[in-house]
Amino acid sequence: MTALVRLRLVGFLRTGRALAPLLAGLVALGTLYGGGRAQPAEAYGVSAVVLFPVLAWQTKILLDVEPDVQRRLAQVTVGVARERAAGLLAAGVAALLTVAVALVFPWLVGGVTGPVDPGDRSVPAGLALGLWAHLLVVPAAVALGALASRASVGGAGYGVAVLALGGVGAVVLGLNGSAVPWLAPPIMATARTAAGDAAALTLLGLTLWALAWSAAVVGGYLWRRRAQG
Amino acid sequence: MRLENVWLRYHRRGPWVLRGVDVRIGPGEVAVVLGRNGVGKSTLLQVAAGVLRPGQGRVTDRPGRVGWVPERFPADQPFTVARYLTGMARVAGLSRAAADDAVTAWTDRLGLARFRAVRLPELSKGTAQKVGLAQAMLRPPGLLVLDEPWEGLDAATRELVPELIDEVLAADGAVLVSDHRGETIRLPGARRWTVADGALTEETPSADETVAVVEVAVPSARVASTIARLRAEGHQILRVRPDTSTDAPQPQPSAPPAALAPPVVGEAR
Repeated sequence: MTALVRLRLVGFLRTGRALAPLLAGLVALGTLYGGGRAQPAEAYGVSAVVLFPVLAWQTKILLDVEPDVQRRLAQVTVGVARERAAGLLAAGVAALLTVAVALVFPWLVGGVTGPVDPGDRSVPAGLALGLWAHLLVVPAAVALGALASRASVGGAGYGVAVLALGGVGAVVLGLNGSAVPWLAPPIMATARTAAGDAAALTLLGLTLWALAWSAAVVGGYLWRRRAQG
Repeated sequence: MRLENVWLRYHRRGPWVLRGVDVRIGPGEVAVVLGRNGVGKSTLLQVAAGVLRPGQGRVTDRPGRVGWVPERFPADQPFTVARYLTGMARVAGLSRAAADDAVTAWTDRLGLARFRAVRLPELSKGTAQKVGLAQAMLRPPGLLVLDEPWEGLDAATRELVPELIDEVLAADGAVLVSDHRGETIRLPGARRWTVADGALTEETPSADETVAVVEVAVPSARVASTIARLRAEGHQILRVRPDTSTDAPQPQPSAPPAALAPPVVGEAR
């Protein structure tokens, strides 16, 4: 399966379409960090929110860039389960590469600062929280992007609609006071937690919430793939 | 391998493309799938290969290694021929050294050696089809599924297809092949499955079926179209040769006039 992950990743990176989400992500992060300096945990929390739709879009492009017949050839060669898993894994690896860029970016443009007041978090603690926030976004974004992919929804228009609904819904349903926050991945809650008092139990709860949401959406993706044949 | 009462349709409320197909193919057997355009030949082949899942029924005892040559090779990919085939060989489970050896062997055999560094989108249709053939053969398949494999291939490679099929059969593999050009007459021992109205019927060969060779003379300008028409009607073109005054066929009184000025003579049966 590693060979198929590599083949799909290389196929994605060699097309010009891989640049679009990366550039969009950099523009969004540039705008974010251009507004002023923030401490790492707070900055990375918002960065993770911004990256969620970007990573979902990147996943959709990665899965869509492979011709349908090539996907079927891979399925014949390695079997249904491995073909599905290889696509999700390749998207996950691509997302981690983008996350790495997002983590380094604010240090290059001077968008982060160290502790200002005595009670502020240390830089390593802030970095760890920021890394956690970004890693939490990856499975949710990959799941949403996969659900929006051509192999799952069929037509291109439906895919864009799923992507837009998922991206906007994650922000709107995640606002403070939302009646159904569990319908969305906890990216907003993660940003709030990273900026505030990050208790261990809260971190654990948010992690489980993100994983459960991602698993449910991946389940939907696999069901759609099965229905699409 | 056996297809047991296989039903398939592409959409929940769409028409059934396959209706209760029940058929078995064993090791060392080749079956030709025949039928008009759009009757479900490719669908049947894709169910057999494991690309499509039956809506009802099931496929049992499918060999572990399946080679599938799609009707149109997906050439819109950012790889060179060598990089793509090596990647597919690795996906098929070959080690790096074995993958390199297999790619070299198959590109040489299929006349792809000079295209190894060429990107897939730059290939002609026929050359891309050869890449499709190569990827299916990189790992010896227990089931080889060929969807119109002769389409777009040059004469030398068309001759090679029955050879490849024989090799798979000799290794106790099974082969399924669809064809609308009449090329499968090159597979004399093949079972013949006809798909019509979603159902599959198998032709039983008649023991007293004899074959005759007919020489036909046509103007040079109409050679290609005549060959295509004869093949479409299921005849096999044995050879095409320039006419000479010494061996030009004389029209028989009972036969219709073959041509006014026969500069080229072909044999068909």
